This record gives sequence, structure tokens and C-alpha cells, in this order.
Amino acid sequence: MSVAIRLAMFACVLLFGFSAQAQVSSFKLKNGLNILVKEDHRAPVVVQQVWYRVGSNYEENGKTGISHMLEHMMFKGTKTLKPGEFSKIVAKLGGQENAFTSSDYTVYYQVIGKQHLAEVMKLEADRMRNLVIDDKEFQKERDVVTEERRWRVEDKPESRLYEQFNAMAFLNSPPHHPTIGWMNDIRHYTAEDLRRWYRKWYAPNNATLVVVGDVDPKQVLKLAEKYYGPNQPEAISPPKPQVEIPQQGERRLILKGATKSPTVMMGVHVPTLVTAKTAKARQEVYALTVLNSLLDGDDSSRLTKDLVRGTKQLADAGAGYDGTDRLQTLFMLEGTPSAGVTTDQAEQALWQEITRLQKEPVSEQELKRVLAQAEAQYVYHQDSIQAQAMIVGSLVSVGLPADTVDHWVENLRKVTPQEVQAVAQKYFSKDKLTVGVLLPNGQKAKPTSGKFHAGGIR
Amino acid sequence: MLNNKWMGCFSEIMTKVCAKSMMAVAITGVLLCSTAASAKVDIQHWQTQDGSRVFFVHAPQLPMVDVEVRFDAGSARDGQHWGQASLTAALIGTSTAQMNEEQISSAFNHLGAQFSSDADRDSASIHLRSLTRPAILKSALSTFSQVVSGSKFQPAILERERNRLMIALKQRSVQPSAILSKHLWHDLYGNHPYGHPVDGTLETVPKISAKMLEAFYQRYYVARNAQVSIVGNVTLSQAKKIAEQVTSGLPVGQKPAPLPSPALTHQAKKDVIPFKSTQTYYALSQIGIQRGEPDYAALFVGNHLLGGSGFGSLLMENVREKRGLVYSVYSYFAPMKVSGPFLIGLSTKNATAKEADQVVRQTLEAFLEGFSDSKLQAIKDNLIGGFPLRMDNNSKILGYISMIGFYHLPLDYLEWFPKQIAAVSKEDILKAWRKHVHPDKMVMVMVGQPK
Repeated sequence: MSVAIRLAMFACVLLFGFSAQAQVSSFKLKNGLNILVKEDHRAPVVVQQVWYRVGSNYEENGKTGISHMLEHMMFKGTKTLKPGEFSKIVAKLGGQENAFTSSDYTVYYQVIGKQHLAEVMKLEADRMRNLVIDDKEFQKERDVVTEERRWRVEDKPESRLYEQFNAMAFLNSPPHHPTIGWMNDIRHYTAEDLRRWYRKWYAPNNATLVVVGDVDPKQVLKLAEKYYGPNQPEAISPPKPQVEIPQQGERRLILKGATKSPTVMMGVHVPTLVTAKTAKARQEVYALTVLNSLLDGDDSSRLTKDLVRGTKQLADAGAGYDGTDRLQTLFMLEGTPSAGVTTDQAEQALWQEITRLQKEPVSEQELKRVLAQAEAQYVYHQDSIQAQAMIVGSLVSVGLPADTVDHWVENLRKVTPQEVQAVAQKYFSKDKLTVGVLLPNGQKAKPTSGKFHAGGIR
Repeated sequence: MLNNKWMGCFSEIMTKVCAKSMMAVAITGVLLCSTAASAKVDIQHWQTQDGSRVFFVHAPQLPMVDVEVRFDAGSARDGQHWGQASLTAALIGTSTAQMNEEQISSAFNHLGAQFSSDADRDSASIHLRSLTRPAILKSALSTFSQVVSGSKFQPAILERERNRLMIALKQRSVQPSAILSKHLWHDLYGNHPYGHPVDGTLETVPKISAKMLEAFYQRYYVARNAQVSIVGNVTLSQAKKIAEQVTSGLPVGQKPAPLPSPALTHQAKKDVIPFKSTQTYYALSQIGIQRGEPDYAALFVGNHLLGGSGFGSLLMENVREKRGLVYSVYSYFAPMKVSGPFLIGLSTKNATAKEADQVVRQTLEAFLEGFSDSKLQAIKDNLIGGFPLRMDNNSKILGYISMIGFYHLPLDYLEWFPKQIAAVSKEDILKAWRKHVHPDKMVMVMVGQPK
């Protein structure tokens, strides 16, 4: 049983698997800062996250990845702090901190003893408006980001396939480019580009503060007023409504790389809770979410059961769909063929599962399993204050109500077998399909001194 | 094996330093978060009737429970059949006398229960997470108990899992970080039981049979070689019943003999594996210490200063912040049943590989000469102030009690260790490091086209 696959599924279900009961206190400061607080008194610990509504989907061609580059620069000093001092202060307080950039948000966080919340708020409020981008610091950090890209993408053929797959599936809308940016764009950022990007997006009225832990929401509000309150809002122009042009016919990509096992990935364009404008359209999103769990929610789901254990055509198989993306997204299928199986056959096997969903309504028994998993995941995710904060922060940052989580399981429960069948028929057609195939280029590691021989001693 | 990137919902999340933990787990497969926490965790300990050791923490806040059964049955017990410990663990949960594979997975999944099994070098673990609603927990535990003590090894399932594993092993032969890890363990440990890859090799895995797995299971998955860790919303008396239930089907058996100690001294070595990648993947390493080592606190605090604490550490400052050579650089001790490795790792573009190596060596040597009192104080503040974070949820607590049990650490370890950290002086640290770490005798491995 592959633990890796289970963990991946867990990460996925985690965000979908919640239901009612979440107790989130919600406030808004005069300067426009959104505040969400959730109490968890199990340990004297708190997580602070600041979510900015900016990410790679906000970027323009030629400066792709600049949101991520700015995330790096956020640790390089303010009008009152030297480069790296932010991290040193948090470390001395016993805190853990980091940041990440996604397509639709950039997030900064600290996990820390609850008695230090005021101090990290002061720091975070400071770099919201007072960042200093020094030319020299910027140039070194740009080198760091090129190393990051080499490590994440350049030496991993699967990552390159995924990147180019997206560039083909999205021709005219922002998910065309990777969150980390194209290498050539990274090399040509200037410090002034970064300063402009910072001024454009980093302001209280474009941010959400999320606090989860051993706190009193009213206290948190008081502290937030004290530290974030003085920050001036900015005139924020929302990004242009870029909409992907309709796909008219299949698109196909073959990439050769240093791999031993070929892989195939397939995707179709689908709506999300944000792009869906009517109740009926939103119901489709829940139906697609159920469909995703039927294919790849756990190891009883269809891809593993039928294709890995059943026909054994695939060594690994997966599906993926995030119904809470801000822009139109992809429903993905992926497979690694077993030895002696071609990528064509793997592709057909995966598509066969779609055809089956189009033809036959799913059983009540399978739906029950999906719901049982969703309910359990809701409890499990509460074991981590970080996970709790991530869920509400990500929802609000794409424009969904925080209580989307409160109604998640009940919305899944309303999905009927006919609705699952209907979305399978509506969104999955060969003319709307994008296919990416990774094939071996024949590269090997050269044999060296440190040879391995089986059967040593003992 | 899968390209999981888009399977998680936050696809393409970029983190500033997440490389550290990923690399560490990939290379050592052991619990590295080895410090401790405030005195709040009350660990109950007893033995089952058949001699399994049990560790329990009552955590009533969430309606869930984690149960882990861990055996001294890692790849260090492979003998010449490299990969058999890992395949045994992989096939746990695929068949019992009463249930087939589909029935087992369905039984867990219809309850929303999570089941997994895994092996590293020292141990094999079987894990259950379940809601504690009585009907659900009862049913989940019943299946779990069957699987722990009544697993069968079907040749057809072995064949399938072997084929999948072979694909993964072939894939690793063209992944620079995996190539590095394989060479590193071999260079350090040679023919010692830690020297071969946990999952075996392309040569050894085809020779493993279902009978071998059955024999391995019978020998090592026994009550006297088992430890049960429980954290969650169950009472002490419930925990006692659970521990008996999940182990009662196991043969009483015997603990295996202790592992031999590896040869601690070795010659300096450079192992360069040419590979067409844009970065060179690099490790500078030697054999370190075992769990229970009296100098551990001094080595641990020192390592935090050198390369164990991300942006607070000297390596990060010198290699990344001052020179922009890497995204991630880190160091760690991986204390194991017998001495595990000490390692410094990074990856950098080929053109700066040799420069990065020099900076790492200079940083290590300068560190062994001494460091400022303010830096030491900052690191101690970080470690001591951060204790509550290290055990703020059930998953983390489970990790700690499992470690305490498996490595026979004192039950009050979580209170004792922070005190050790507070008491450690600069002299203690330098003395311990000079005793255990020898820069002139380390093994350097590079995979790529270093210049």
C-alpha cells in the first residue's frame, strides 16, 4: 500500500473534507483589513497568517513569477529592520515562520507561543507597508530564486511536463505560466519591478489576517487594531477579467526527459465555485468534487481499484480537481503505465473510467464512502492549527465566503448519481481534452566506483 | 511515484525553505524532530500480557484516535534479501485469512478510517487513524487487529507490488537526489545493514518471494518485538483494551539481537557521479551518533547553530544569504538504533558546485573553532521558546512517544531534554563536536556536472 499516495490524497481531501461547526469570528478594520479568528485551546500556541490577494494569476507576460520573487524579498528588511532581522526576531521568540506563493495568493505565517502574538503582529504590520528593496540584496535573492527553479523544475522531468501541459491547456489566461515564473523572466526582473509590484498589491485592503490558536477573538481584534490599524489603504485595481478561450479540438504534447517510466496526464476545463455564477452551476462544482473522490479519494476509489489492482495496466494513477480556484481550472487525470503497457493504452484505460461514469450512475454505496471520508477528514484536519487557518484563508482570498466550509459536507450530500453522470457527460469530451506525455530520452547515470552488489553479509 | 503536485489542492505552492525537511526524510527515513517540549504531556506506559510495550497519551479534545504498532523490522533486518522488510510492510493490509484486499480497504474507507504501513531502516510501522464514535472505532479496530496479526502474503499481490516497485526503482536511477542518497549510505556503511537502500535494488527485489515475506513477518512481527503507541480520545482502560486487542493475535516470539555497530572511522572520500542535470546535488557526511548518546544535547544545539534551523543557521547565512548559491542548505544528525549519519546537504548550479563545497567546509571548520555567545543564546532561545510548538497536536505527540518507546529513552524525556538544552555551554558544544565530527575524514558525494 503506497503511503505516498495516501498522503497526497490526504492533502487533497483535507481541504474538501470539512462540514459544519467551524467557529470563525470575522472582523473588518476601517482600513479594509479582513480578520478571521478561530479558537483552538489545546496548546498554548497560535498561528498568524497574512494573506495577500496577489499571485501568479495576477501577473503579466514578461514578468511571470514576480509575486513569488516579492515573497522572497519580504524577508529582506524594512525602513526599521535590516535584511534577515525579521526572521531572527521570530526565531529568538521560539517561533517558526515561512511564506508561500500560489496562483491566487501570497501568504506569510508564524507559529509561535501565544504570549508573542503582539510581537509578530507588529512585525507583519510593518512589512505590509514599509518594505525596503535594496538593489544588492535583490540581485543575490534573484540568484536564489533561479536555484529554486532549477531544483523544483529544471531537473525534474515530471515538473517540466506539468508546466508545459498548463501552458498548452491555458492559451490566453494566466494559468498559462507557472507560479515560479519562466527562467528567462526571473533573470530579467529589476528591483524597480519588485518595488512597483509591492506598491500595487501590498495594503490592508488587499489582505486577510487569519489567527488560529489559544486566543480570545476580541483580544486579537484589539491587537490587530493597534498594529495593523495605522496602515493606510491603497487604491487597488482588480485584475482584468481574463477568461480562457473555448477549446476546440484535442491538444497533445510529448516531452522527452531523463525518466525511466513514461507518464501521461490529461485535463479538461471545468468551473469552480468562484467562476460558477448560479446555484445550479455551483451544484456542478460539488458534483465534480464527488466525481473526483470517486476516482481518487482513497484506495477503494476507482482508479486504484480498477487500474492499479484490477487490470494492473497502471503502476500508479491519480485524479485532481480543486473546486475553490479563483479562475477556471482543470480536472486532471494522470497515470504511470505498468511495464509493457504503452502510454496510449494508459490513456485509454483512464478514459475508460470516464466513459463508465458517463454511462452508469454511481451506486449509493460508493457515495456513502465519499461522504464518510469527507466527514472524518473534517475532524482530522482540526488536529493542525495550520490546516485550519489555511482553509479559511484560502477561501476568503479567492472571494468565497468563510462559511463555505460550514456547508461543504451538506452540499456534497445533496449530489445525486444523476448529477455526477451529467457533469461527466458535459465536461469530458475528447474535443476538449489536453494530453501530455513524458517519454524517456535514454539518459542514464554513469556507473562509478561506488558499485552495488546484492547479498553482502548477514 | 506519482507526480503528486497537482493532486494536492494547493498546487504549485512555493515555500522559502521547505526543501530541508523533505530531503532529510528522503535520505534517512527516521524521525528527525528530536527535541522536546514543555512538561504537559503525560505519557502512560505499560506492557501487554504477551510483552508488547505500550505508550499512551490521553487527548480528549478531538473525537479521534491514532494507534501505531511499531516493530524492530526495518530494512536493517533484510539480511541478504534487500527490500524484504519494505515489501513486507507494503503488503500488510492486502490479505488476511478472513478478508481479501478489496474488503480490507473498503472496511477502512467506508468508516473514514485511515490505514497505512511503512518501513524505514530501523523499524516497520502500521498506523490507524479513526474517529472515536463507538460503532466506527469498534469496527476500525477489528479490521486493524486482523491486519496487524493476521496478514497473508499472496504471490499475485507480491508480483503486482514488485512490478510497481521496480518501476519506482528504475525511476530513482535517473533522479539525482535518489542517486545521491543511495551512494551516500553505501559509502558510509558499506556492508553494514544500514548500507543498502530501504526498498532494495533492481537486482535484489526480483529474487524476493512470498514465502520470504511470510517468514520475515513470522519472525519479526511478534509481541515481544512490538510497541503500541496510542494518542487520542480514549480512556486509559480503553487504551489498555486496544493495546491487548491489536497485539493478542501476534505470536509471543523474541526480540531480535541488537544490530552490529558500524565501523566509525573511515577515510576521507570524494564520490562524483556524472549526471546530466542543471544542478549538482551535494552531501558532505560521516557516521554520527546513536539514540541515547550522552552528548546528544550538545550536538543538537550546535547543529541548530550550524545548519539545523533554517534562517538562523550559519550555513544558510554563508551559502544562501551572503552568496545566493542555493535555495536550501541544511545539516542534521540522524541518531538511530546504532550510529546514524551526520550530514550537510545542498544543491546548486553546476558552475558553483565547487565554490559551495568550499564555503560549506569553511563554515564547518570555523564553527568548530568557535562562535559568538549571542548566536548561541539566540539558538537556545529559539529551541526553548519553541518547545510548545513541537507537541501542539496529536500527530506530533504520537511521533514523540513512538520515538521514546522505540529508542528506549526515559519517559520524562520531553521534560528532561529542554533542561539539557538550557544547561549546555559553548565549551560543552565545542568539546562534543570536536569529539564526534571530523571534517578531514568526511565523505563527499556529488551528483551532476560539478565545476
